[in-house]
Amino acid sequence: MAAPVRGMIGSTSIGNTTSFQKKTRSKLVSIPGTRPSVQNGQLLVSSGVSSLDYVIGGGLAVGTLLLVEEDHYDSYSRMLLKYFLAEGVVCGHELFLASARDHPDDIMQELPSPIVDDVAGMKISEGQSQPSDPENPDTMKIAWRYQNQPKVQTALASSVRFGHYYDVSKTMEPELRQAAKCHSFYQLQETPVSKVRNVLRLGLHSLGSVLWGDDVCCKDNPAHCHALTTFLYILRGLLRTSLSVAMVTVPSHLTQNRAVMGRIIRLSDTAIALESFKGSEKETNPLYKDYHGLLHVRQLPRLNCLSCEVPDTKDLAFKLKRKQFTIERLHLPPDLSETVSRVSKTELAAGCGSTATGNKHLDF
Amino acid sequence: MLLDVMQAGGGFILLEDSVQCSARGLLRCFIHAALKRGEDVHVLGFESPETQVCAGLDSSSVQRLHFHKGFPDPLGWTCRSSFTVERFTSQHITQLIKDTQHAQASVLVVDSLSMVLRHHDPVVFCQTLQELRKGGVIKTIIGLLHSDLHQQGIVGIVCHLADTVISVAPADNERLSVAKTTRRTKSGKVMQEEEYFSVSEDAALSVQAKPRQPGHVQRERDVSEADPTSNLTFNLRLSEDERKAKEKVALPFVFSQQKKSALLRPTPGSGRIVYEPDANDDVDEEDPDDDLDV
Repeated sequence: MAAPVRGMIGSTSIGNTTSFQKKTRSKLVSIPGTRPSVQNGQLLVSSGVSSLDYVIGGGLAVGTLLLVEEDHYDSYSRMLLKYFLAEGVVCGHELFLASARDHPDDIMQELPSPIVDDVAGMKISEGQSQPSDPENPDTMKIAWRYQNQPKVQTALASSVRFGHYYDVSKTMEPELRQAAKCHSFYQLQETPVSKVRNVLRLGLHSLGSVLWGDDVCCKDNPAHCHALTTFLYILRGLLRTSLSVAMVTVPSHLTQNRAVMGRIIRLSDTAIALESFKGSEKETNPLYKDYHGLLHVRQLPRLNCLSCEVPDTKDLAFKLKRKQFTIERLHLPPDLSETVSRVSKTELAAGCGSTATGNKHLDF
Repeated sequence: MLLDVMQAGGGFILLEDSVQCSARGLLRCFIHAALKRGEDVHVLGFESPETQVCAGLDSSSVQRLHFHKGFPDPLGWTCRSSFTVERFTSQHITQLIKDTQHAQASVLVVDSLSMVLRHHDPVVFCQTLQELRKGGVIKTIIGLLHSDLHQQGIVGIVCHLADTVISVAPADNERLSVAKTTRRTKSGKVMQEEEYFSVSEDAALSVQAKPRQPGHVQRERDVSEADPTSNLTFNLRLSEDERKAKEKVALPFVFSQQKKSALLRPTPGSGRIVYEPDANDDVDEEDPDDDLDV
């Protein structure tokens, strides 16, 4: 399959980043916080996490549905929802939040505060190649021709700044939060819903869980599966005819029937899954010690075009730092230790898709 | 962490056990700790009699303990119980708690949740629990769940609803049992710990920290200690002089510093071949095909 050539003008050696910027056409609605995509001209909004924007092809297209499969204890998917809503507040979009478990006001009060200065923006250039000078004692003796090659770029970033950075340890100022219009729906009380004009960001927390009244999570043959899939279908239709973006989190680890999750993924546009290492045996794996979990991209949308923007690697891991939620490529560092044996190498390589069974390894 | 959870309380605490190891003793410890804190405890006893729970309590604690008898007739067939399984709805329970005078920081203990789950729809049951949690009348809910009595999906959703899950299992040592505590805070942080514990007759809990696996550490140390250069018939080690001589050997293709930096500079056309003739090469400028008579 021939890969389409992208970004020939001004492309750097770092992955697929391009500094190509399309001239904005006057036909497109210019709403703050959105920009047209360079691939297919769709209007994109940021999801709040800039590395997630990179993974899903520049951002969330307006009118699409992002499905997030929750991790086991719902810590990181809840964080992603908060980033999504915080981005909406900062860009001045309208918000709609529906939640069954915690009151929406509790979630709104926990939104991270945006970082105003450009400190986080400078971190992008950390992984760039640095030519070492000849006087440096670290210059290589035998492989000196490789001195100036850039190191493996693990951080995913595009060269155009889109989206904001947030400080997780501080919550957003109440004045900033109240400046954005927010509607909410809580399962235990009734609230009316009004019409909106701006880009509307919908957040649905833990759809399909027991507290919404669905038995999708507890039975092998759920009776409410049809209702859930119909809802997602109609929601996507509503999103397409309006200027809205929706982010839905689903506790997929609780669903007993695999076919249900498959249907739910097909009914959404972009689907990612978070798998956190907490409580699983992967926590002690040395390959994963810097990260908090793995990110799997299940589906990317093809909106008005034939092919979709695919990240160049499927091994992605995330870690939640105070000022940034980073998603990085998982790569094996060079093996420089002298006492390493073949047995331990197969254990480390488990992250790249092959599973090691016991201590067997091929001997030539 | 088990002692912290017991002293602090708050939220929905789930005790998960199985037929191999029962958590009822641990439940008694929780009840006694809550009574010592001065809280009102309402026990819905479907599986154990009142005497078993109240043993070892002083009179002021007994006043604050309200035992709603369900055992030995939890479904109300012989009309001998004051609280049956069908009455496990949020209205009934909230009314029950409001009926007690000057109730403050009430704790609801359900022994056991398995009995309720078998006679109610799981979805309705979870919604009832959520209403009780958010109602504002009850501060802590402590429930006992027998995980081997239900399907995995149902156990999964009840665990997902809980703030703290404590699962007990038998340990190798007969006196002790293992408790695995998973605690989820409001900020999304998850803490896990495994501890040995034992419960005495007067509901006193003693906890020991579980030691890390000793075998794993031993294996790693062995691997680093094996020296491959020992016990060989040939010599693989270097003396000081030999090492100095080895470093002095001129490597092939080693260039002077200027040439290296000239090569390292990015050139417009990459892929130049720079060949320096070796000592053994004889470069002959003539064309070898000249002496052919063709």
